[in-house]
Amino acid sequence: MPTRSSRPKYRPTLRDTLIVAAIVALGLIVAALFYAKATRGGSVVVTVSVAGEVVEHTPVSQFDGEHVYTGNGYTLTVSAHDGQICVSHSDCDGQDCVHTGEIRRIGQSIVCLPAQIVIRLESASPGDADVIVG
Amino acid sequence: MKVSAKNIALCGVLSALALGLSVLESFFPLSLLIPLPGVKLGLANIVTLFALYALGSRPALAILLTRCVLGSLFAGNASALLFSLLGGLASMGVMIALRRWDKFSVFGVSLGGAAAHNIGQIAAAVIVLNSTAVLSYLPLLLLVSLFTGTLTGLLVSLLLRAAERLPLR
Repeated sequence: MPTRSSRPKYRPTLRDTLIVAAIVALGLIVAALFYAKATRGGSVVVTVSVAGEVVEHTPVSQFDGEHVYTGNGYTLTVSAHDGQICVSHSDCDGQDCVHTGEIRRIGQSIVCLPAQIVIRLESASPGDADVIVG
Repeated sequence: MKVSAKNIALCGVLSALALGLSVLESFFPLSLLIPLPGVKLGLANIVTLFALYALGSRPALAILLTRCVLGSLFAGNASALLFSLLGGLASMGVMIALRRWDKFSVFGVSLGGAAAHNIGQIAAAVIVLNSTAVLSYLPLLLLVSLFTGTLTGLLVSLLLRAAERLPLR
């Protein structure tokens, strides 16, 4: 039965490692779900959604160049070149989307929360046999 | 903790401190180093965790809610309230549970709270964006929470030791 102690434990205890282990395990599970799937030589699709609505679903090979998206009053410029995609410009305050840099692998994404825009790389055929890459 | 003018004033002071720390941490943009949406030092959690140990769960919850509501009002951003509330309530729930269980130190409770805070904020992002793509940020955010949770735990541990002789309750 959980009880409340009158005096807190000021020094780290061995039991605290259980919490660390639980956090690490959760991170690994989520990472495995998102990044374990990858295809070598398979086709990659870029999906752009604004406020939950998909506005772009294009093979990355056909996505080269600059694309402008607007969401929630903010404007993002997405640049794509040779399968590498980044947000080259955004007028949001945080600039997290710009600082994310380039994405090139399935499962990677760039998120701009103020604009509610998500740019994500996905496999063209989710049912294909996958290879786990390190 | 009994409801008295002194205790209400104390909660007010701590709420103001938490609000001030929230504003202060915006001057240290951790996102420049770690470009993840929602990554922060979590300085305001120092006050929340301190209040949980020094005053109890109800005052700590009141301070958290006050900080979240006022913070979003000052920011002028309604979605900020959702992020603050989901993150803060998830963190508070986990910290209260770990504190009551009494098997973990201040560090352990802080770590659990930090991780829960990030999970709550990711949940808010999923709701706002209507997309599960942001879940891909969770592993890195959980890794960052190990550091921020340890830092918060260290600071609160020092504060609690210094405040042991103060008649806070």
